[in-house]
Amino acid sequence: MFRLAAIWEAFRVATGSLRANKLRTALTLVGIVVGVAAVIAVVTIIQGLDQTVAQTFSSQGSTVFTISKNPQIIKSREDFIKFNRRKDVTHEDAEAIARLCTACWRVGIAANAIETVKHGDQKAENVRVRGVDPITMFDIDGVNVNVGRIWTESEGASGREICVIGPDMLKNLFADAPPDKAVGQDIRIDGRPYLVLGVLEPLGSIFGFSRDNVVYIPYSTYQKAYGVRRSIVTFIQVQSTQQLEPAEDQVRTIMRNRRHTAPDAEDEGFALETQDVFLNLYGSATSNIKIVTVGVAAISLLVGGIVVMNIMLVSVTERTKEIGIRKAIGARRKDILTQFLIEAVTVAAIGGAIGVGTGFGLAYGISALIGFPLLISIWSAGAGVAMSSVVGILSGLWPAWRAARLDPIEALRAE
Amino acid sequence: MSDDATLTLTPPESVTTPRAEVSGHDPKMLISMRNIWKTYQMGTESVHALHGVSFDIPRGEYIAIIGPSGSGKSTLMNLIGCLDTPSQGEYWLNGKNVSEMDDDELARIRNQEVGFVFQTFNLLARATALHNVELPLIYGGVSASQRHEMAKSALHAVDLTERMTHKPNELSGGQRQRVAIARALVNRPSILLADEPTGALDSHTSMEIMDLFGRLHSEGNTIIVVTHEHDIAARAHRVVSIRDGLIEKDERIK
Repeated sequence: MFRLAAIWEAFRVATGSLRANKLRTALTLVGIVVGVAAVIAVVTIIQGLDQTVAQTFSSQGSTVFTISKNPQIIKSREDFIKFNRRKDVTHEDAEAIARLCTACWRVGIAANAIETVKHGDQKAENVRVRGVDPITMFDIDGVNVNVGRIWTESEGASGREICVIGPDMLKNLFADAPPDKAVGQDIRIDGRPYLVLGVLEPLGSIFGFSRDNVVYIPYSTYQKAYGVRRSIVTFIQVQSTQQLEPAEDQVRTIMRNRRHTAPDAEDEGFALETQDVFLNLYGSATSNIKIVTVGVAAISLLVGGIVVMNIMLVSVTERTKEIGIRKAIGARRKDILTQFLIEAVTVAAIGGAIGVGTGFGLAYGISALIGFPLLISIWSAGAGVAMSSVVGILSGLWPAWRAARLDPIEALRAE
Repeated sequence: MSDDATLTLTPPESVTTPRAEVSGHDPKMLISMRNIWKTYQMGTESVHALHGVSFDIPRGEYIAIIGPSGSGKSTLMNLIGCLDTPSQGEYWLNGKNVSEMDDDELARIRNQEVGFVFQTFNLLARATALHNVELPLIYGGVSASQRHEMAKSALHAVDLTERMTHKPNELSGGQRQRVAIARALVNRPSILLADEPTGALDSHTSMEIMDLFGRLHSEGNTIIVVTHEHDIAARAHRVVSIRDGLIEKDERIK
């Protein structure tokens, strides 16, 4: 059985030995620290990225899906040609859906254009001009007005040049003025003045892409400016996720009817997509990278383990005589095994603790650089130390076994 | 546990086996060796370090084993001390047949029954004298408070109480050997087994150590000294001469 006193003796000897050979201990630690830091940093960054992406795409909720001519992500040139041949999605399609779909809660349309917006001598570039109808599109998009108001339904139907601006406009066009200063002002889109009715609350940016660089105008106004030729995107929101599938089925039926799609047709004639499409794309695009980076980090931890094993082998060789003495006075094989295992685990656990701290530091630095929030979990800290202890046990196992198997007579002859 | 300066052995709690079960073993003897062979394989040849050695050692004996190098005395010592097992034959120590024990059992025997004293002391350099003496007790599963007391009284018995917190490099050769002797006796073993105990000491200190052995013997300990020096052997009460793996002479001198 394992005697507590012998285990304490092993621990005492381990720390004594580590302290006596500070340089060697430091070199051993480097291997483990680098390995653990790499794994912790990579895992923490991935966790932060995943959470940020999930949060971003869920702000519009998994209660929204779209009907559009092209899918949001086109994967090949053949697909692009195929999709372009389809009929545009029109206002009438949206009205039909709103009229016929019972599981649908809110239905709206939106069309985007990228423009340069001006105010006086100030300019904002690459602004998303979004024509929407009805005003519940603001709710579907998940945006709220901070100061001012949205247009009324009758104002929206009139085709007047009115808008609601995103907060980036305040920075770029109004020299960072407070929102109430912008309300009532004019901004120029494509040479034409638009009256600012309200300013939206900020949404922030994701991966450097600002979601506040937007100007909402009524769809009727958008039509006047860009013509009816462009295809629109129809947004449908359901009240709860359980309604999603029935709503999708209904909308699909309505659209197939309108397109006169044959039951066995190869191309439906439209694209029905949920927000998940981004999450799934993100997931599949990143899964290979994630595996590779965690794998590489794990390899560096393996190298750390090999370093520990190497140092332990040297330690055993140097202390052959000491092992012989201990055996002569009654240490059994498992006492010697335990002693060296504890030494390996102690060094590895210390390295693990330092590595976890370093790993979090690295993750913090990288996340600050790229611009996404840091997600430190106690769980990964614990996992890091546990992982390094396991590495310690595995790398110490062979040297400890060799030490335990030494013949006491031979060992006493050493040195 | 006595608290005066003597270090006596407690009476053996030996296993009493019925005579029918033991073969050729004299239960009155502390050590009983019967037809001991030790053979090593050197390539295709077998080399016999011991050629069928037999003898008995009663409790309380002070015996010297003397022989030139290559005589097999080191091999015999390793067998007596249970650091090794014979290739053939039986070895009974304190009523137990140790010739067929496995590694863990032998370790326990070494811990409980044998106290080693080496020529080069073999103390742990990074531990104090007290900790060195405690070591057999640690491996013997003795509780911390008891260990302290037992180690302290062992050091007291060899007159080293003032030095107990010193490390070996702070002690003279004679003092180191006394620490080693205290360590050898702390667990109350059946035998004290010394391998050239004065080999690394000057003549004056050698005499001190041999005087100590003499005193320990008079207190009831069984002492076995392995040596090649005749004046060291002469301090014992019985001398066994060994040559070429066989016992040449076995005479009582006191």
